[in-house]
Amino acid sequence: MSGGTSPIFGNLNWNVTPYTDAFQHPDSSTIIGAGAASVLVLGAIAGLALLTYMRWWGPLYRNWLTSPDAKKIGIMYIALALVMLTRGIIEGFVMRAHQATALGTLSAQESGLVAPDHFAELFSTHGTIMIFFVAMPLLIGLINFVMTQQLGARDMAFPVLNQVSLGLTAAGAALVMISLLVGQFGTGGWTMYPPYTGKIFSPGEGVDYWLWAILISGMGSTLTGMNFAVTIFKHRAPGMHLMRMPLFCWTSLCVAIMLIYAMPALTVSSAMLALDRYADFHFFTNASGGNMMNYANIFWMFGHPEVYILILPAFGVFSEISSTFSGKRLYGYTSLVIASMSIAVISFTVWLHHFFTMGQSAGVNIAFGIATMIIGIPTGVKIYDWMATMWRGRVRITAPIVYLTGFFLLFVIGGLSGIILANPSIDYQVHNSTFLVAHFHNVIIPGVLYGMLAGIHYWFPKAFGFRLSETWGRRTALLFVGGFVFTFMPLYVLGLMGMPRRSPTFQNPDFMPWMYLAAFGGVLMMCALASLVWTFWASYRNRVALAVPGGDPWNGSTLEWSTPAPVPEWTFPCIPQVSARHDWGERKRAGDPWKGPAAYTDIEMPANTVHGLLIAIAAFALGFAMVWHIWWLAIISILAIPGIVVIRGLRVIEPRIIPAAEVAEADRRFRRLVENLPPATRADEETERNRGVPDITEFAG
Amino acid sequence: MTKPNTGELDPQDSAASEIKSYAVGFVASLLLTVGAFAALLADLPTTWKVVLICVAAVLQIVTHLRNFLHLSFAGGESEEDMLLVLFSVSLLAIMAGGTWYIMSDLAGRMH
Ligand code: HEM
Ligand SMILES: [Cu+2]
Repeated sequence: MSGGTSPIFGNLNWNVTPYTDAFQHPDSSTIIGAGAASVLVLGAIAGLALLTYMRWWGPLYRNWLTSPDAKKIGIMYIALALVMLTRGIIEGFVMRAHQATALGTLSAQESGLVAPDHFAELFSTHGTIMIFFVAMPLLIGLINFVMTQQLGARDMAFPVLNQVSLGLTAAGAALVMISLLVGQFGTGGWTMYPPYTGKIFSPGEGVDYWLWAILISGMGSTLTGMNFAVTIFKHRAPGMHLMRMPLFCWTSLCVAIMLIYAMPALTVSSAMLALDRYADFHFFTNASGGNMMNYANIFWMFGHPEVYILILPAFGVFSEISSTFSGKRLYGYTSLVIASMSIAVISFTVWLHHFFTMGQSAGVNIAFGIATMIIGIPTGVKIYDWMATMWRGRVRITAPIVYLTGFFLLFVIGGLSGIILANPSIDYQVHNSTFLVAHFHNVIIPGVLYGMLAGIHYWFPKAFGFRLSETWGRRTALLFVGGFVFTFMPLYVLGLMGMPRRSPTFQNPDFMPWMYLAAFGGVLMMCALASLVWTFWASYRNRVALAVPGGDPWNGSTLEWSTPAPVPEWTFPCIPQVSARHDWGERKRAGDPWKGPAAYTDIEMPANTVHGLLIAIAAFALGFAMVWHIWWLAIISILAIPGIVVIRGLRVIEPRIIPAAEVAEADRRFRRLVENLPPATRADEETERNRGVPDITEFAG
Repeated sequence: MTKPNTGELDPQDSAASEIKSYAVGFVASLLLTVGAFAALLADLPTTWKVVLICVAAVLQIVTHLRNFLHLSFAGGESEEDMLLVLFSVSLLAIMAGGTWYIMSDLAGRMH
């Protein structure tokens, strides 16, 4: 950043890429940096080439990028999350590999694969990506895809806003991605605490990348929360009372409420930090009346509800699959609803446990410590409910059930280590050690990641029309379980031995055996990732044998299983009239669930639009321009966003009408198909005989 | 214009009254914003400035809820609106009160 700011290119110049470093002082650290940038560039080129070669640009634009269909938006969210997950897991692996070689001596203290600053960048991007661009898009995507179908709704309440939310999230993810190639990411961890991240101590562009990624994608998540809430309150099918909603919808409602009230806190703390950095404000500085402790306070006002935003949808998934795959009705529906709601509310009262050691008096710590322990109760209730659901059921060990079993065994350990940390006097001993790192991975991986992967496996046939290979699904799940155990259990021990988190180096040789175990776990995690990719690929190749056009491969009991697979864009030919909690299951019990509607009507669908795409482009340009101080571009893009909204507001936009005849034709074809497909029994579920029409006499849910 | 809380059109209402409601809200918000800045720049004791800005902020919220979000305590779903407002207020109270509790305790221990 010599030479000052240029009026056209801002702070950009030819030295911002990692290649400059790699040429000037080639060592393992700079080469890894340049290698990562190359993977990004080559990956992007390969992607563009593939799209061009397959002539996919048109279909991609028409069927996906401009589609306001919640189901497609959901799938795009999940695709984004899986791409980011790949980067996140690779970074985790690099960090594990680094620490396995990071034993320094008293004379040569630094050692290992990457330089300390590079290590700091790694854990900062890894944490940011995993929370904001893996976990969030996974759960928002899954809710988009599943919730509307379970509610008997045709689409979200605000389909175009939904597109905008996706666009904003993707713009944030793109900012984090481009930081691999252009400049550097921040080194302040995923929380970016000032004063370290203030302008004085972190003058470069790194923290700004984080800030703009968070500000932009956070806005998208707030809007998503509102969209979910309105959809649940206003768009349920007739007869779908709140207490008849499937549990996944209940947890979605909790998530919606929490997004609405928690995300603004993050926007506020980030905006204040941005003002400090760009406009010389003093919210969080040492001097001029600033108070950096308030950053931790506001950030965690968002941060703690966030962890329950992440976990509740997984709880919803586990509620659905524990019932479906054990052929039993969900045990304790009402208690699960109450528990979810209590978690949602109590999670707003515990945020101080993330900074017990910041210096407040014992009384304050005790108040929040007790609140934290209380939140364990509803979570415990849920675990017992799921176990009771499976008790004496005919449990089929499908891939989702492997994830669920892993969740039972591991999540409880993670939850208990959380209860231990909730005790302030213990927290004083282990905070900021790898014990904490073990704890939060212990709830996030077996909880969120397993839950989302189980959900993807469960609903995949609804989206694409064929099942995922059970064999590869189970292998992936087992690898994720094994990988987790080896990577993170040693970190509990290391934490108790006194190893601080975020350590680029250490001098205690006793750590090494545990480091090697954890590094082996990192290898298993990479295998799990490869196996996950392979599951999709192998199942795609085998899609004819795995096809389930009947649409109900698991003998389910909720509305989404009543439609064909893949589900048509209008979802239901006729909005269903709901008369029971597990409506589809009750219809099976009553016999002939696939009876067609008496009459069909025209269906009105929101028309495709580029609105979301344009806003995403403008938002990305805004973020990039602000990071590099390219003021002209920043001004243009910040004016462009309201401009695009106004232009859309001034136009009369006609919905797309799907004529009744077309719907009737497709629907009758589906009903005939179902009649002609042989029903599959439970024992046939994993075989080619499962064509998506279950033997309804076996239904017991 | 739609009735509060429903998707139904209210035949009694015309577009003009809807525009009026938005216009009133807009002007009121503008005045309250300018008022807050005026209070800041005016020659008043600090306590007064803080109080005036807080009052302007609360009134601003009320205007937004009433004129832009069409929240109302009368009409078909007034109970839902009431619950929503109570819920929001209690969560915000937890956040604001908690901040007060934590930050004042920290400040007290800095001396
Ligand atoms: C899958 C394999 C994973 C591996 C090998 C891994 C590894 C690591 C490592 C080595 C660290 C740095 C620990 C330290 O500070 O000493 C870390 C931090 C972190 N990880 Fe992971 N992780 C994985 C998955 C995840 C997932 C799925 C999430 C969340 C969805 C996650 C969220 C985080 C967060 C938030 C941090 C803290 C970053 C910070 O210090 O600011 N990780 N991880
Ligand atoms: Cu917490």
